[in-house]
Amino acid sequence: MAVASVAHSGFAGYAEEPDQLYIETRELRIQGFLLFMVSDLVLFSSFIFAYLYLRNSGQGWPAGGPKLDIALAAINSIVLFGSGATMHFALENWKHGSFVKFANWIVMTIILGAGFLSGQVMEYIHIGARWDSGIFGASFYTLTGMHGLHVFGGIIYLTVLLLQAAQGKYTFTKYTGLTLGTLYWHFVDVIWVVLFSIFYLL
Amino acid sequence: MAATAVHAGGGLADHIHPEPQGFVRKYVFSIDHKIIGIQYMITAFLFMILGGMLAELIRVQLMKASGGLMTPETYNEVYSIHGSTMVWLVIIPLLTGGFGNLIFPVQIGARDVAFPWLNMLSFWIFPVAGLMLYASFLMGAPTAGWTEYPPMSLQGQAGTSMWAAAIFLIGVSSTMTGINFLVTILKMRAPGMTYTRMPLFVWGQFVTAPLLMIATTALGAALAALFVQREFGVAFFDPARGGSPLLWQHMFWFYSHPAVYIMILPAFGMISEILPTFSRKPIFGYKMIAFSSCAIAILGFMVWAHHMFTSGLAPALQLPFMVLTMLIAIPTGVKIFSWVATLWGGVIHMTTSMMFAIGFLATFTLGGITGVFLAAVPFDLHAHGTYFIVAHLHYVLVGGSLMGILAGLFYWYPKMTGRLMNETLGKWAFWLFFIGFNGTFLPMHWLGMWGQPRRVAMYDPQFQGWNQVASWFSFVMTAALILVLINALWSMRNGKRSGHNPWNARTLEWQIPSPMPYYNFKHVPSVFAAPYDFAEPLPYRGLEEELTGAPPPVPAAH
Ligand code: HEM
Ligand SMILES: [Cu+2]
Repeated sequence: MAVASVAHSGFAGYAEEPDQLYIETRELRIQGFLLFMVSDLVLFSSFIFAYLYLRNSGQGWPAGGPKLDIALAAINSIVLFGSGATMHFALENWKHGSFVKFANWIVMTIILGAGFLSGQVMEYIHIGARWDSGIFGASFYTLTGMHGLHVFGGIIYLTVLLLQAAQGKYTFTKYTGLTLGTLYWHFVDVIWVVLFSIFYLL
Repeated sequence: MAATAVHAGGGLADHIHPEPQGFVRKYVFSIDHKIIGIQYMITAFLFMILGGMLAELIRVQLMKASGGLMTPETYNEVYSIHGSTMVWLVIIPLLTGGFGNLIFPVQIGARDVAFPWLNMLSFWIFPVAGLMLYASFLMGAPTAGWTEYPPMSLQGQAGTSMWAAAIFLIGVSSTMTGINFLVTILKMRAPGMTYTRMPLFVWGQFVTAPLLMIATTALGAALAALFVQREFGVAFFDPARGGSPLLWQHMFWFYSHPAVYIMILPAFGMISEILPTFSRKPIFGYKMIAFSSCAIAILGFMVWAHHMFTSGLAPALQLPFMVLTMLIAIPTGVKIFSWVATLWGGVIHMTTSMMFAIGFLATFTLGGITGVFLAAVPFDLHAHGTYFIVAHLHYVLVGGSLMGILAGLFYWYPKMTGRLMNETLGKWAFWLFFIGFNGTFLPMHWLGMWGQPRRVAMYDPQFQGWNQVASWFSFVMTAALILVLINALWSMRNGKRSGHNPWNARTLEWQIPSPMPYYNFKHVPSVFAAPYDFAEPLPYRGLEEELTGAPPPVPAAH
């Protein structure tokens, strides 16, 4: 496989088969990253528990529900899921040895991520509540804020990966860092599915 | 044979890092799991001295029914920081970052943990967080105990926020350690080291690591919520705005009940190493001990509300939480019986380490039994918030976790220093500790039954006699701990040379030199049985050169 695509590659390290050390280290890093995501998930779950607990404890939830714009949030969700797809294409193109396509898709991902964040800002303005104004503010802004920070961090993360890739830190056979970045971005997507469901659909 | 293996594999097992040079890289910002383990231990023992001083302040205050040493406010600060120190800066770091780091990677035949740099970061967060915790004294320390229930923790002075930040950081460090250890055990075992051949200390770390990872993150959420409520007025726990103080209790105990198992499962693992070694008998019920740890870890996530029986928990929930809590006593009992059966008919060698291990059996069992009392709702309604709780938690945490740690210290000290700790001093320390400990905490059972409330700076004069007994014995216990520290310091220079395997033990760490070389093994061994069969030859192959003068193989060129 690797040998067949050598011809398309400008990278010196391309022909090099991944050695045992690389394979084992890659496994470790992916495993560790998965566990990191599990504990991150627990962080979100705890606040989700807090939200459900407070909302159902009877007092303080805004009468008639908070002023959420479900249409805006739906569009925003589509933007974020789109960025999940573009990230997937980015990694696939890297595996097939095309740096240019990879770079295009990852830039797309970053733009969509930034789009999502601007959508969130619009939603915050639209809602007009404050973080410290009761339990809606506490749970909504804490959870979506944490998620927004994850997206923001993800944008920086992807930018760094792009720069590193441009400098030749990864080869088309050794690219654990890119795999991790992709995992992270999908993870942020999944969290959003949950948050969207519990705030907008429940 | 070995040389060809290097070329055939070429993976992590053959990847020897060059030894770091220079004091800073070797001992300060080290990435070697053994050095990091020792760093953890030294730091934790320093914090133990601070926490112990606070404990003695408490006991001096309680010598007189009217208090007298401190104002009630100061007293509240003192026991809050005492509890926080002992849980987060002493017991957990010693058992996981300390002994865990030092021993388990060698026991599975690995060269280091999966992420050595992360390991270094985990360690360095720990002293910083500890100092932050103590800095909270300058800003008005927290006053609501180590559990910091709102609304009291919302009214505390600025130090309470500092407390939350410090414990949050410690949590980050624990989570990273958990991830690191789990990946190491999942992926880096030597050839042939199947799960059912792992030493039981490794099993202890193996079930503790997910608890560190999952429970600690939940605590992080609770602490973050407390912090933002205090600093930014976010309404999580404020009933006036729809928040709920009970929410904190749920979030806190969802962590802290599993956390009590974080503080005991590694100690179970230590005891399971020490008892067979010093009774020269295979551990009884290896699989039962390993699997009961898993059962405890899983059940441990389902019982947190037994701390909330008096907090207005719905009655329909009380029964399931009571039953689940009592169920935990079953796997715990399985272990106790396995250990006793290990001793039965063995050739007992009464070293100091063994004495602490047997002491553990006695006192931990008592603490476990009072735990079952407390799990019964009708009893708990009576005992909650009294000294009975203090008695229970010290029997499991001091009589259990700390005894385990001391047994482990005497047992593994040669692996750190190449020398044995002094046995005569050690036995004195054991007896002083055992007598001092029981004298301090046994009376608290009946003080609690009679109704002396915990966390109060003064009490009804009728309790004064037994409180004085407790205080006097607590001085004995402190003296014993000081003796252990002196012993450890003195033996570093003057202890008898231990050789590589002074106890004739069978796990892998004893098959390499003491102190352990930085690469652990010259050649990673292969394993073909669990280590506890004392009648058989050692179940390892490939260790022939470990004790010879042959230099380690040249680092693979990567
Ligand atoms: C057989 C096993 C155990 C059972 C059934 C059990 C049960 C309980 C119960 C029901 C309480 C709540 C009492 C109350 O506040 O009203 C309690 C408190 C406590 N337990 Fe256990 N326990 C067990 C083992 C342990 C172990 C192994 C540890 C630690 C190593 C531990 C540490 C604690 C602590 C620290 C508290 C007091 C928390 C506070 O400050 O309020 N327990 N236990
Ligand atoms: Cu508990």
